[in-house]
Amino acid sequence: MTTPAQQIADVFVELSGGTAGAPLEVPELLSTLARCSPRLLGVRAAGAVGAVDDRAEPQVAGSEDGAQLLNQEALKWREGPGADSRRSGRPLPGIAFDGQAARQRWPRYAPRALELGYARAAAFPLRTGERSVGALVLLGSAADAPVSEEKAALAQSLADFTGLVLTRDHELHASRALSSQLEFALNSRVIIEQAKGVLATRHSLTMDGAFALLRGHARAHRRLLSDVAHDIVEGRLDLG
Amino acid sequence: MEKRGPSGTAAAARRRAAGAHRRADRAEALAAQQEHFAEKTGHPLHLRLAETHRKAAAAHRSSANLQDAYARRLESWQSPADPPPPFMSVVADACGTGSAALALLGSDHSQLAVAASDGPSRAAQDLEYVLGEGPCRDAAAGRCRVTVAGPAIERRWPGYGSAVTALGFGEVVAVPLETPDGCLGSLAVFDPRPGIARSAVFAEITEALVRTVLLGPDADPELYGGTDHRDTVHQAAGMVSVQARCPVEDALALIKAKAYADGVPVNEMARRIVHGKLRLA
Repeated sequence: MTTPAQQIADVFVELSGGTAGAPLEVPELLSTLARCSPRLLGVRAAGAVGAVDDRAEPQVAGSEDGAQLLNQEALKWREGPGADSRRSGRPLPGIAFDGQAARQRWPRYAPRALELGYARAAAFPLRTGERSVGALVLLGSAADAPVSEEKAALAQSLADFTGLVLTRDHELHASRALSSQLEFALNSRVIIEQAKGVLATRHSLTMDGAFALLRGHARAHRRLLSDVAHDIVEGRLDLG
Repeated sequence: MEKRGPSGTAAAARRRAAGAHRRADRAEALAAQQEHFAEKTGHPLHLRLAETHRKAAAAHRSSANLQDAYARRLESWQSPADPPPPFMSVVADACGTGSAALALLGSDHSQLAVAASDGPSRAAQDLEYVLGEGPCRDAAAGRCRVTVAGPAIERRWPGYGSAVTALGFGEVVAVPLETPDGCLGSLAVFDPRPGIARSAVFAEITEALVRTVLLGPDADPELYGGTDHRDTVHQAAGMVSVQARCPVEDALALIKAKAYADGVPVNEMARRIVHGKLRLA
């Protein structure tokens, strides 16, 4: 059985922000991936986890409550097919939770998955170049057939696509933060130099002496140097 | 600890070049992967993504080439008595000229910092700073490339035009240094090699400056020591604002006007004020 091409195309369009083309925020992106996967890939449920930045808390989404819950617990326990696939950067083909291997590998996750009604799972890393920034976890009930090779290939393309969108979003945020930092640094420097000139003239100081006075005041009052400088230049504050 | 002096800075430039080459390779691999997906699925989205990666790869490659050229220039720099060659000199070189300058602009398109490859391009930036008109400001304000040549230069900018023509320039091209949602400033190139301003090379150099020199992983907005923030001018403005009891913006305008009227570079005018050799009030 093949998945209709149109249906696949629609999911890619949705992941890239719909026909409007506005990029999805990370939580929306992950929940779109989790929501669209079960129908497209013929499984009962799906979960997605994304962590593009090592410093930030990973985010999770599930196509149904059970999948969402399991995903959150997986994150807490650092166990499960999603966690393993994300770490290794390799897909995990179907694994049954009632087997000895699964119980040994995931002592907390495997019993919990069974309890929630999931019998098997497959996981695919959200890859972007050399790194993986998350995982897509497909969850099946006992009645479901294992994920076919063809569906697995499609699942990996969806996962990779999501990885790309995630990284692009991250880069965009990083670039915004950097450019506002740069602008702030440039503007601060101007106002600080101006304040030095003001203080130097008012109090007959050298530029170094004026800077020492400015810095001393900022430290004593726990204020930003540039804020103090602003007040001085605009005549709201006089030191000395 | 980084080795100081020209050999240390050359080695640092080589390291930045190697990093940029690696990032270019990675982006090219990602582009190839997306092109492969496009072939398999026939979906135009993959082609769009491939294009994004190709563009990133070109910017990283261009950045790597600039850093390599900068390293070579530092390595062949023979006279330690002179200041080291500025990074902007390799940017100018890549544009087929000796004169290129970069201006970092504030949200009101006023110059916050400037870096130039040589004396004439620096003088042109000073003119733009003092007169408040010129190609960098126009490129950033309109977010578009500005290309003006010959008599049109004086027609477009009455003050700046005649002065920049007197410096010997016959053509100026300025491009905004755009970020995904803003603009950091402009790059101005004087008398570029014919045709280069419309070429992909030029666009790639601009992208490289934004992505990897000003904002990227190896970013140094100081351009490895070549950026001038006009600290002395701002100190002088602060001084004059007290002496003349006026807002600092007016004091700055006063200094610029005096510099222009006397035909003295604005930094020099400011130095005289700061050292007490001149009082404007």
